[in-house]
Amino acid sequence: MIVEDGREVLIRVRGLAKSFGSHQIWESLDLDVYRGEILAIVGGSGQGKSVLMRVITGLVQPDDGIVTLFGDESHTLTAEARLAIEKRWGILFQDGALFSSLTVLQNVQVPMREHLDLPQSMMDDLAFLKLSMVGLPPEAAHKFPSELSGGMRKRAGLARALALDPEIVFLDEPTAGLDPIGATEFDHLIRKLQQTLGLTVYMVTHDLDTIFTVCDRVAVLADKKIVRTGSPAELQSKPDHPWIEEYFCGERARAASPAEERRVVG
Amino acid sequence: MLKRDNQFVLQTETEAPGFRVELRGTTFRLVATGAWTITEATVLDQELQRLKVPIPPSPDFTGEMDISGIAEIDTAGAWLLQRTAGAWQRGGLKTRYAGATDSFRILIEEVHRRGQAEKPDIDTVTPFKHFLETTKTSMAGIWRDALALTSFLGEVSAASVRLVREPWRFRPISFIHHLDHAGLRALPIIFLICFLIGAVVMQQGVVQLAYFGAEPMAVNMVAILSLREVGILLTSIMVAGRSGSAFTAEIGSMKMREEIDAMRTLGIDPMDTLVLPRVAALVVALPLLTFMGDIAALAGGGAMAWVMLGLDPPIYIEKLQEIISFRHFMVGMIKAPFAAVVIALVGCLEGLRVEGSAESLGSHVTSAVVKAIFLVICIDGIFAMFLAGIGQ
Repeated sequence: MIVEDGREVLIRVRGLAKSFGSHQIWESLDLDVYRGEILAIVGGSGQGKSVLMRVITGLVQPDDGIVTLFGDESHTLTAEARLAIEKRWGILFQDGALFSSLTVLQNVQVPMREHLDLPQSMMDDLAFLKLSMVGLPPEAAHKFPSELSGGMRKRAGLARALALDPEIVFLDEPTAGLDPIGATEFDHLIRKLQQTLGLTVYMVTHDLDTIFTVCDRVAVLADKKIVRTGSPAELQSKPDHPWIEEYFCGERARAASPAEERRVVG
Repeated sequence: MLKRDNQFVLQTETEAPGFRVELRGTTFRLVATGAWTITEATVLDQELQRLKVPIPPSPDFTGEMDISGIAEIDTAGAWLLQRTAGAWQRGGLKTRYAGATDSFRILIEEVHRRGQAEKPDIDTVTPFKHFLETTKTSMAGIWRDALALTSFLGEVSAASVRLVREPWRFRPISFIHHLDHAGLRALPIIFLICFLIGAVVMQQGVVQLAYFGAEPMAVNMVAILSLREVGILLTSIMVAGRSGSAFTAEIGSMKMREEIDAMRTLGIDPMDTLVLPRVAALVVALPLLTFMGDIAALAGGGAMAWVMLGLDPPIYIEKLQEIISFRHFMVGMIKAPFAAVVIALVGCLEGLRVEGSAESLGSHVTSAVVKAIFLVICIDGIFAMFLAGIGQ
């Protein structure tokens, strides 16, 4: 276990480098994810936000650098140790990535079925519980993913990510493609689940509203590394970087920011 | 999962989960300890199932879930506790929790609230009823397909007539592209397949006809069979598998990405740009391919005749000239344009019927190939009857 400033570091990334062909996306990237926080990764397109998530979760191999998961270095893990770690995280892909041949309920039960030996009735009850927690009506349980709307697929994907009560969930653009009402609901859902289940949330997002309403900390990807981390308010008041300034002090950011709202009202 | 202690606990091993039930005064207490998490849920579930609900001797007895000994809890653990508490409640014991931290309480309340929702059952169908249902839908599907194909044939015919009146609508580049892909590039595989089948038929013919001492007649058999049936059938089946499926996949993926809708809104008729060039290209390509297939089958037969009967190629060709008349050649060739229209129509129609998902694309490609091959064989049968009827 890594402890820094009195907080437990769940995931630590040091000196990460990765290039695709001749295009280098990071030179030396450092990042810490603390237990219990909601961390947002932001950055311009092509900065490798989604790739970073894939490197941490082991879907993509980095060229150089060390990823430490729950205190163990990722590249030294044996197959069993990696499996044990995979039970401790849940991942929500952009469009839910539900298995199309299974119903929603069966999708949520997949991790339980694969990793544990629970009686069917208990799996059913737990899966219904998870579906209800992510705000899906019970009627959706027996539907196939193709019969659901985009927002419902995301919720179902989140329910599957939460099936084993993970310690950390990775969300890839959780509010992309949702209408503002759906996106706001999803923000609140993330906050609520984080408090109820004691989750750590790592999310890749573009959505300024999400950042200002739910995120504790933001890490900014630019210039082939994480240029800054800090709370949304800190980054907005002291940008210190042209991209951050444009992002957090631009027109859209002013509309989304709670500070601005107060000023207008006051 | 939630930990009781948000401070760092240096040992990572948590205590095994467990519980005991005791009676203190007028309170039945379930004292839970250890980690109540999903990994331990199976064991806990079995033990809790075995636990009998205490029967209160008088109404003032109460129940208590003492969870101060629980170090870690998650949804599964909270659900197990809640199930037990619910059973006690129904058994007449007012049950409350003791020793919960704030975060534990939030989780348990959430699980309690969420657990109230009813769970709909899946409609289970008996196998017999299921069989009837699928039969019904597939029969209706055949009828619907026949209607759709007929109507599509009508649309394509109307578009072709319009094309004759307004020839500038024709897309020559697209036509040449499909002629290349469906025709020229199919040549090697069709040549190979027909050659091999011609050789195999000759070999079997020689072996079987040897019983009557009529081995040389195998040449007649191969010659007639190749020209009338083998060339056209093999070529059509190969083209249906190769180009029919490609048409469905190309048009289907355009449909999936709304490209076809975009075309329509831009005033471009998909019939002119997508369907007609493909139909026209296949109508031109398939007879040519059939001709090559005929030649290949005859060549394959000749090669085998040389090996098995010792017929030199010049003699074989001379024999062919005696056996074959132009009529046999035409009986095969006349079917090619019809087969081409059917393959192209089915391919394009299935492509246009693709809906939003990738699964839909896959299933339509499969059904395009199956339907095209089926219809090609049907057409072959109809022609066989017709030609026999007019004495050809």
